Amino acid sequence: MGNSNETPYRLIDHASRRRTNRRRFLQGAAGLGAAAIAGARVIVPVAAQEGDAVVFWTTFTDPDLAILKGMVETYNGQTQSAKVELVQIPPAEVTDTSKLMTAVRGGTGPDVYHLDRFVVAQRAADGVLQDLSEFEGGATFLDNHIAFARSEATYDGKPFALPFDTDARALYYNRTLLMEAGIDIAALDPANGPATWDAVKQMANALNQKGPDGNYTRMGFIPWLNQGWHYTYGFSWGGEFFDQAACEVTPDNAQVVAAFQWVYDYCKELGPQQVSAFGSPSMQPGFPPQQHPFITGTLGMQITGDWMINQLRTYAPEMDYGITFIPVPTAGNESATWAGGWSMAMPQGAKQPEAAFQFMQWMSGEPGQRIYTKESAHLPTWEALLEDKTLFEERHRFFSEQLLPIAKNRPPLPVGAKYWDELTAAWQAVYLNEAEPQEALTAVKERVQSQLGRFCPVTIEG
Amino acid sequence: MAAEILAASSPRRPPFGQRFLLGRAERRNLAMGLLFISPWIVGFVAFLLYPFIYTIRIGFTQYSGFGDPLWIGLENYRQLFRDDLFWKSLYNTLFYTGLAIPVGVVVAMGLALAMNQPVPEVPIYRAILYLPSVIPAFALSFIFLTLLDPARGIFNQALMAVGLPNINWFGDPRYSKLALVILAQFGAGQAALIFLAGLKGIPPTLYEASMLDGAGTWRKFWNITLPMMTPVILYDLILGLSTGIQIFTQIFVIFGNDPPGAPANSTLAYVPYLYNNGFRYGQMGYAAAMAWVLFLITLVLAFFIFRSSNRWVHYDTD
Repeated sequence: MGNSNETPYRLIDHASRRRTNRRRFLQGAAGLGAAAIAGARVIVPVAAQEGDAVVFWTTFTDPDLAILKGMVETYNGQTQSAKVELVQIPPAEVTDTSKLMTAVRGGTGPDVYHLDRFVVAQRAADGVLQDLSEFEGGATFLDNHIAFARSEATYDGKPFALPFDTDARALYYNRTLLMEAGIDIAALDPANGPATWDAVKQMANALNQKGPDGNYTRMGFIPWLNQGWHYTYGFSWGGEFFDQAACEVTPDNAQVVAAFQWVYDYCKELGPQQVSAFGSPSMQPGFPPQQHPFITGTLGMQITGDWMINQLRTYAPEMDYGITFIPVPTAGNESATWAGGWSMAMPQGAKQPEAAFQFMQWMSGEPGQRIYTKESAHLPTWEALLEDKTLFEERHRFFSEQLLPIAKNRPPLPVGAKYWDELTAAWQAVYLNEAEPQEALTAVKERVQSQLGRFCPVTIEG
Repeated sequence: MAAEILAASSPRRPPFGQRFLLGRAERRNLAMGLLFISPWIVGFVAFLLYPFIYTIRIGFTQYSGFGDPLWIGLENYRQLFRDDLFWKSLYNTLFYTGLAIPVGVVVAMGLALAMNQPVPEVPIYRAILYLPSVIPAFALSFIFLTLLDPARGIFNQALMAVGLPNINWFGDPRYSKLALVILAQFGAGQAALIFLAGLKGIPPTLYEASMLDGAGTWRKFWNITLPMMTPVILYDLILGLSTGIQIFTQIFVIFGNDPPGAPANSTLAYVPYLYNNGFRYGQMGYAAAMAWVLFLITLVLAFFIFRSSNRWVHYDTD
């Protein structure tokens, strides 16, 4: 390297004295090229060292990222096999794996990838992931996990990921705000079972307030905020999103349409644009969580997941709030919720497959999930851990004991990402009253079905 | 006469066949020349030409990016014309481009005229007017989100102060594309700089002559400035067309990508839809077909702009 530093100066020196003939110039240029290549080669030994480690990519951000770091350290402290290196990649959207795909194609992919479980089937169908049944114990490892997580991690009868955690959705309400408005919150006590959607609407209307400019300054409930997704309402109305026998997506199923209709009417009464102006800023990227209307006390109720317990502890430790079942269309109906979660997957071209699989088993097995459940307030998929009461504080226990057993899941289809995007666009059109539910959902069916066709028949395990 | 002078002054051309025979020195020069531009050649072939040709092939296949591409002939193209989201994304993109470019020309012209005022502080004004153009699109989009926030944004507060309604720019499908058009104007400083150079190139004698004839400010602008600026405007239109049609970053940052095109597909532009087909839905073949269709559309539009330029662009600067 020492010589190569002199080369540019020598070249310039020669050039300036006009003594450079072509040969000398070329020699110099070749020298520069060689120096550049030598410079680039300096990186190689470092890369080779990294090659010895199991590289694990995650899109998680703090506070969960800090927990993952701790877990990796713990694993590295006790493993006899290769150490793990945790790499945080930009927190892209859940269904976007462009970084993974390009890296794997370029031969620089990770050994382990943290993948949102509902897109496992899609990525497996695309050919990005490795079949885990080829590893020792890989074929039976999933038997220890709860049924729906097992089915999400499986494609075409083979395991393509190991479940890492799960979650569930519920209705959160600000007790102080509701009581101040003279609302009887007994209906929201989970001991009394789920409230009806219409009862929630009535309570919400009592909280709605507008400013002099006609904009909402306080709202009771925004159906589509946070985890108020299409699936949340579709399941609540008893809708089904996939018909396995016919190999057909069914977003136009009567119950799903009825659910969308309720939201359509709700927003229509309050002014869809005004509701959106109040709620949508908090859904935009980069919005500070401490300014969320539920946290600032300008929103009475919202549907969100178990992880909100942790956020409220951080941003609104004084808030007196309650958690209850997701409401039901008619009194006496059973409440429905849905669960998702993450998984550990191994992309094609992993350089340390055996060591990577060991790490994946540890993370998604009993030891890893025990740590993650306790520290993150998410739920485990390792069935035996759900019995361990010491892992859950009281509020969290509502999720593990009452909600998870009744939770549904999104159908793990090889077009899962497309289905989600299409449903969400239709959902937005409906809550903004830009489209009628039936028409919007029929269009979703046509578009998604046209892509699902080539994968049929699709078998969903469990 | 003129032809004779021309013939005498230019070297005699060898017969066609011999024109490509190079002497030793020339061959060495050629080799040297190629060697020195070789980094560009390698880059061009590897990162432009090869992908360019590769996408033609992939466009006829069903391919997720992994495994073997499955040859399906013209099916991707057939599917494209049946896909209503393809049409929607095309409409959104053309709507945006069709509005952002002309508005951009007016804004850039206005800025250039302001930057051209004979006042001592003009360098400071120029810096201020140009500043937003150096902010990266990513950062600018975040600033824009804050400015146009319906609850706290200063832009909306100003609208309401003059009695206009509070507009939910990012949540209302009727306004979301307009928000992008407004955002595009923050980059007008770039074009304004080129317009300013154009203004400087107009011979002052034209203005002096028109003043003697009694022309006012408006007449001078309409009959001298604008016609003399048409080559610059043409350049700006072509450039604007290619960047406008490829809009991506701003949409990705402001409206998120979960799903793309929120609210309700109103900002689903062509390239984000192409990207999603390739990288989210595992349909590289379909995305490649989309890329080629976009290329042809841009080519046709650019062709029409050039064709029409015969009628409105004045190259006569003498």
